Amino acid sequence: MTTVYPPRVTLFDYGAGNLHSLAKALEHAGAAVRIEADAAAAVRDTDALVLPGVGAFAAAAERLAPGREAMRDAIAAGLPTLGICLGMQLMFDGSDEGPGEGLGLIPGRVTRIQAQRVPQIGWNTVEPTGGAPDPLLAVSGLTIAYYANSFVCRPEDADASVVAWSEHEGDRFPAAVRAARAVGVQFHPEKSSAPGVAMIDAFVRSLNTPASTSSGPDR
Amino acid sequence: MLTRRLIVCLDVKGGRVVKGTQFVNLRDVGDPVELAARYEAEGADEITFLDISASNEERATLLDVARRTAERLFVPLTIGGGVRTADDVGRALRAGADKVSINSAAVDRPAVLTESAWRFGAQCVVASIDAKWDDAAGMFRVHVKGGRQPTELEAVAWARECVARGAGEILLTSIDRDGARTGYDLPLTRAVADAVDVPVIASGGAGNAEHVRQAIADGHADAALVAGILHDGVTTVGALKRTMADAGLPVR
Repeated sequence: MTTVYPPRVTLFDYGAGNLHSLAKALEHAGAAVRIEADAAAAVRDTDALVLPGVGAFAAAAERLAPGREAMRDAIAAGLPTLGICLGMQLMFDGSDEGPGEGLGLIPGRVTRIQAQRVPQIGWNTVEPTGGAPDPLLAVSGLTIAYYANSFVCRPEDADASVVAWSEHEGDRFPAAVRAARAVGVQFHPEKSSAPGVAMIDAFVRSLNTPASTSSGPDR
Repeated sequence: MLTRRLIVCLDVKGGRVVKGTQFVNLRDVGDPVELAARYEAEGADEITFLDISASNEERATLLDVARRTAERLFVPLTIGGGVRTADDVGRALRAGADKVSINSAAVDRPAVLTESAWRFGAQCVVASIDAKWDDAAGMFRVHVKGGRQPTELEAVAWARECVARGAGEILLTSIDRDGARTGYDLPLTRAVADAVDVPVIASGGAGNAEHVRQAIADGHADAALVAGILHDGVTTVGALKRTMADAGLPVR
């Protein structure tokens, strides 16, 4: 198997918001970026999938629905994936924000932050769980990141998936989760200045490791 | 822990950054794309572009500026000025804004806040409120059209309504203090910040780092917006954030 370079990264566009900074950060890291509005097509002919972060859960789940199985199967089979904010929330079963099914990659639901000031808007500290920190966080040195969210993920088994936590007014919530090659972050790396850009860079560089040199499910 | 933010505001007209006093006497201070990148490098937590021309022709210019800025800026960008509808919000987000502030249009038709929040999420809907103390009425009166036109609305009640209708953040500008450099309007800021559950950005009046500290510590604001004192070189983003940190405020 030959290494594919530059790595092809597909941004799944569910129609809501600003993809410019994210696309630019991925390109800067050396990726060939494609923006795709069809969920099933988004996981074909690509080395990685990015689920961007702006929008409402119900609207995104609706756009996801026709290609939901195809996307879930591709990620479960090892397609490297980065879910950002709402994109991370879509990795779970469902959300109190609105109807619709998430990808169900990590068992659990998305619920409202238990705090007085909601949405949480601003820079918050990111604390890795004990043990070896997740490679993406370790490489980038990201310790504080920009958040803009009213909802957070509540995994059924936090030990199995959470790699970093944040806290807002006493409510501790997952800052980052990982399920094999799929990583979800509640913050916006593309809005977290140099360390955030370094994290996106680390994600793109990780695509060139032997585990992800093809996009097929046969690895 | 969530930190307190320092937001740098660039008033944009004709594709250039300008600065005036109490919304008039404008002068050119530079290129928005360059200035935004410079302020990010210095440590600004967010950048805001306000289109102060509020004309249709210049709207396209501002969206182009936003597009070019978003390619280089990796902190949040808010765009405001002349936003009338949820479709306008969508266009600004598509052009590269992370948040959009709505001012006069919300007063004319508050449902625009709800429609925008429903489509794009409350976290990107900023209700921008320009208020001025009205001695005769004994209240902070909301003004529209760039501060020129008084309304019947009282600022605290209006802020509450904006939040009830879907705004995820309040950008609160004191017309009395705008450009005066005598400090933020602390009674106004505190009254609004204590009345709503969303973040409040204090704006208008920053003259030095101590004013920024006061807006957050005494005015209970989540963020402070500064403009002229940076463009004029009176102080720097770094100096402002050091003062915030030295005062015990959590900062990035």
